[in-house]
Amino acid sequence: MTDHRAYVGVGTNLGDRIANIERAFEALNELASVLAQSSVYRTKPWGKTEQPWFANAVVLLKTHATPRALLDALHDTEKRLGRTPAERWGPRSIDLDLLVYDDLEIDEPGLRVPHAHLHERAFVLVPLAEIDAHFEAMRDALPVEELAGVELLDRARSVLSMSESRTAMPSERSARLSERVRALARFLADGDAVRVRIDRPDETIEITCRSRTAGASAHTNDGVAAQAQPPKIDAIKADLVGIFHVSRPAPLEGDRFEADRELGYIEALGIRTPVHSRGAGRLVSIATPDGAPVEYGQPLFLMARGH
Amino acid sequence: MIANRGEIALRINRACQELGVATVAIFSEADRDSMHVRQADEAFCVGPGPAGRSYLNIPNIISTALITRCDAIHPGYGFLAENARFAEICSDHGLTFIGPKPSVIALMGDKATAKRFLHDAGVATTPGSDVLASLEEAQEVARAIGYPLLLKATAGGGGRGMRVVHDPGDLPRAYAGATAEAEASFKDGRVYIEKLIEAPRHIEVQVLGDEFGTLVHLGERDCSVQKPSHQKIIEEAPAPNLRAETRGELLEMALRASRHVGYTNAGTLEFLVAGDVVYFMEMNTRIQVEHPVTEMVYDIDLVKEQIRIAAGEPLGYAQADLAARGHAIECRINAEDPQNNFAPAAGTVSKVVFPGGPGIRVDTHLYAGAAIPPYYDSMIAKIIAFGEAREVAIARMERALRETLVEGVTTTIGLCLEILETEEFRSGRYDIELLLKEPSRR
Repeated sequence: MTDHRAYVGVGTNLGDRIANIERAFEALNELASVLAQSSVYRTKPWGKTEQPWFANAVVLLKTHATPRALLDALHDTEKRLGRTPAERWGPRSIDLDLLVYDDLEIDEPGLRVPHAHLHERAFVLVPLAEIDAHFEAMRDALPVEELAGVELLDRARSVLSMSESRTAMPSERSARLSERVRALARFLADGDAVRVRIDRPDETIEITCRSRTAGASAHTNDGVAAQAQPPKIDAIKADLVGIFHVSRPAPLEGDRFEADRELGYIEALGIRTPVHSRGAGRLVSIATPDGAPVEYGQPLFLMARGH
Repeated sequence: MIANRGEIALRINRACQELGVATVAIFSEADRDSMHVRQADEAFCVGPGPAGRSYLNIPNIISTALITRCDAIHPGYGFLAENARFAEICSDHGLTFIGPKPSVIALMGDKATAKRFLHDAGVATTPGSDVLASLEEAQEVARAIGYPLLLKATAGGGGRGMRVVHDPGDLPRAYAGATAEAEASFKDGRVYIEKLIEAPRHIEVQVLGDEFGTLVHLGERDCSVQKPSHQKIIEEAPAPNLRAETRGELLEMALRASRHVGYTNAGTLEFLVAGDVVYFMEMNTRIQVEHPVTEMVYDIDLVKEQIRIAAGEPLGYAQADLAARGHAIECRINAEDPQNNFAPAAGTVSKVVFPGGPGIRVDTHLYAGAAIPPYYDSMIAKIIAFGEAREVAIARMERALRETLVEGVTTTIGLCLEILETEEFRSGRYDIELLLKEPSRR
């Protein structure tokens, strides 16, 4: 049988949400082997604010099941968890969404991978990018307001405690450890870390970095290779009131600058004040339309730093 | 555009709405959730919390007015209200500054110069000096005038940069203190000396002038209830127990002074009254915090009048058409601790209930959950009581203050009630030393 890799989104907005998510993690671990799991994020409801907030996370599964079989198994698990009668606090809803299955693109009735709304959902892309750097670009392309609605609720704990780490041989462990330490050193060299915590004996290494985005922490855990931290998103804001213009030739979203350059300018009282990229980075988005009035503190450009 | 915050920004917004004038509010990052931001038709953030970078940020304020296509700027009181340079910059950019001409603001803004100018026009002023060049000069002037005396900031207002000196030995320290405070408050450390009139009343006259030469007074206000720092707490109109001759002299002097400077728009002339002797103190070239008491007894909306005058409309009435009716009292509710030397109390207001009923007006920007930022003035509300007689107004004010509930910060509500209960206040025989006389009250 062949191993397949699938990403599954977990969401809940009723009852003890963290407990719900943990039950879902356990259930998924029974269903297949969990290779990685993200932190739990709190997502503000959009539109109707009386709707309760969601807790969201993403797990990476190693499975032998076909996409259809996996989807059915997820639906069964959803029902089983949702119906557990033990709790007196009423029904809890657990949503399990199949997000990605290998590199497959499937569009069949009731089965679509990658998930139809994957590219537009911050509550999926933030945890997903945390455990798979390939999704960072997609996450960074989201509007900043969307990203602001997703905040870290509960850090990922020792993942895969049930599978690989326990069976790993001491030599493998030390090899993995030194690999992690090297990654850690690279990460720390970037200078964004404000706090490093190493817990023994389960060897959780937690690094908190200075960042405004939802992915405020990078984690290296047993079984999860230490990955590059999510890039820091830096909003370049207006420090005066005036009319905003994009400089010519116009920078494009996605452009990468190796050095500081002028991106736009604010015209006020007949004076043009340039707005610079403030060093190297990738232009994630132009947050204010060309020719629009801007107030003090208004985000003009979003830059991704480092990475 | 409303270039201010707090209750006065709301007050101006109300006047504009009633006149059908669209408004643009400005705000600092600390005031993002402030009431004046919600009420205006448009609102622009002009800087961070500290006033120097937001409400005093002239380039950002002018730029906001231009890109929102404002016609005029109302500066309220405080901040840029008496900044002649700002008024000039407004006119340079084709914006109407709602207030008197920049030259008049400049002349009256320099308190020592203003006194000399009006003294020459026959207005009685307290004996005093021009701006002092040094401590030595101060000592010389002090010897000639005699103690006790007052050191005052020429750019001053609100009691800042002011010191009372009773003894020659205290002058050096008072001079240094007043200069430093004036420098910190107004970026202008120049001070002058004035003879201290002991236990005077602080009585001021409201004037209104249009651009066609009509100038009227709207009576006087007694603002003698002041904190030890000379900031007003309770004001009333008309002034109680003021002899008709003295009142006449006061009003006549106010009109003479205003005409002499060619005053337009709303202004206030402050006088010290000791017995029957009247001394001109200074002129405030803006709307005053305590303007509502005048509005109540004259039934005139002073802020609307300011806007109309600035729009080039004539007043439409003469002195003979004006008559006061009844009595009005205003209590300033400040977020500060009277037990602790009036220390400002910043924080979040958890609960707030304001009074209502006959004869009560409340001007406030406060709401439950509102934050009181530490950067600005501590006044959070003004309660104004009107009655056909002074006793009725006092009774209504006491009733209104008891109805008022502000939780989350310490306020001056209790202090105002205590003052209203004193024999001095009830009889209308009090002076600016009222709060100094019974230290237990502070």
